[in-house]
Amino acid sequence: MTSTENDRKKNRYHFDRHTPEYRPQFAKITEEMLEKCPVAWTDTYDGHWVAAGSKEVFELARCPAVSNHHDLTGETPYKGITIPTAKRSSGVRGGMLEMDDPEHRTYRNVLNPYLSPAAVARWEPFIDETVRACLDEKIADGQIDFVDDLANIVPAVLTLAMLGIPLKKWAMYSEPTHASVYTPEDSPDIERVLAMHREMGIDLLTTMVEIRDHPRPGLMNALLQMTIDGGPAPDLEILGMLGLIIGGGFDTTTALTAHSLEWLSGHPDQRELLSTDRDGLLDPATEEFLRFFTPAPGDGRTFSKDVEIEGNRFKEGERLWISWAMANRDPAVFHDPNEVVLDRKGNRHFSFGIGVHRCIGSNVARTVFKSMLTAVLDRMPDYRCDPDGAAHYETIGVIQGMRKLPATFTPGTRVGAGLDETLGKLQRICDEQELARPITERKEAAVID
Amino acid sequence: MTVKVRVDGERCQGHTLCKMVAPDSFELDEIDGSSSPVSEVVPPDQEDAVREAVHSCPEQAIFIEETW
Repeated sequence: MTSTENDRKKNRYHFDRHTPEYRPQFAKITEEMLEKCPVAWTDTYDGHWVAAGSKEVFELARCPAVSNHHDLTGETPYKGITIPTAKRSSGVRGGMLEMDDPEHRTYRNVLNPYLSPAAVARWEPFIDETVRACLDEKIADGQIDFVDDLANIVPAVLTLAMLGIPLKKWAMYSEPTHASVYTPEDSPDIERVLAMHREMGIDLLTTMVEIRDHPRPGLMNALLQMTIDGGPAPDLEILGMLGLIIGGGFDTTTALTAHSLEWLSGHPDQRELLSTDRDGLLDPATEEFLRFFTPAPGDGRTFSKDVEIEGNRFKEGERLWISWAMANRDPAVFHDPNEVVLDRKGNRHFSFGIGVHRCIGSNVARTVFKSMLTAVLDRMPDYRCDPDGAAHYETIGVIQGMRKLPATFTPGTRVGAGLDETLGKLQRICDEQELARPITERKEAAVID
Repeated sequence: MTVKVRVDGERCQGHTLCKMVAPDSFELDEIDGSSSPVSEVVPPDQEDAVREAVHSCPEQAIFIEETW
């Protein structure tokens, strides 16, 4: 390495977020990096930059010389948002999250009218009814697993509804989507997970063909109908977009909900406070849980030009990890960054990303989270999570998630039908009221009969 | 004192936090959620909320100007 190279990479930090040791050391690593090297070079995974500081993350995420593009030929250094490049992802780009403008914008414009705040608000009665059914399945038992019985189900059901996929298939989509995030590629369970993933992929393709022949409202139809460069979008790009919507729609909201419910169980006084002052606290508490738990902890990028930012000189082709999770703990922006402060002010957190790639599902995430949280506070107000049964993802390099969160509570009474019956009813309502139409075509909220 | 507020449309990415902390002062586009002020001149009783929105914006896209 030349002396200029050494000079450029003088801030070094051994950073490996994929090891099991990373999770318990996250706060310590973050403090060290923020204090000593808010941008550092690490030799892990063929070498890449890591941005931890809030200022650096803010500038890099908005920098036009920082690219999301993923070149599947592997002939250029553009490797998209994953570090290291996942074996499974080769063959399909990760939808618009692995595109730059103007291509990214073309796809994003197609999705926007389905996912804007106004578009998502129409789904609230549908979401509340799904949540109600999930809780009714367990309310008389006095025990529930908040991951398996609630937080895995609701985001999956809603995402399928928005796509135009039958709701009853939620389990076929949910299990492989979560399992492929937390199952390492060398795990003995990986073959089973991959088989489930293939089954989901085949169903996705079959549904694509079906909707192409017989259009029905939803995100999948929108992607099939769109035009780019004067023609339809390539099937592989549509598949990448669908993978992004499913991956982004399922695991992240589950992760946020499970962590928040676990934290509230451990802080009953704060839970009481939140429950009694929902008008004042539900919004800021949701943002604070987003900041503190950062379900999607970061994204990879590639420099597309030589550029200098905040005194750091980067070279074209170098890879970069932008850590939303570490920026979210920067004391320069957040006082007492390692504390959960339910009524935090000025909470300009990084959890949905910064810049043109802001999480397009952010409105869905907040709405689904709030519905699940408030229903639990209403119907299981004294719930207690079992610390021995709680299972966090062993590695949090991709998603800071949970696999299990068992809890007990004082049993209550059912107020409606169970999940299967409810999903049958919601499917009929989806079809009759054409809920999956974009906001430009349908303004009214869902009506649950 | 008059407080004027402006949202930089190039910077705003539709995070919606401004609407959350100052619901009377900002409106969100129906199609992409991007924000704009309800009125350029901020009513005195909304000034605190608008200042909080400035601090809460993840993209730092909201600017206020004070004139005496």
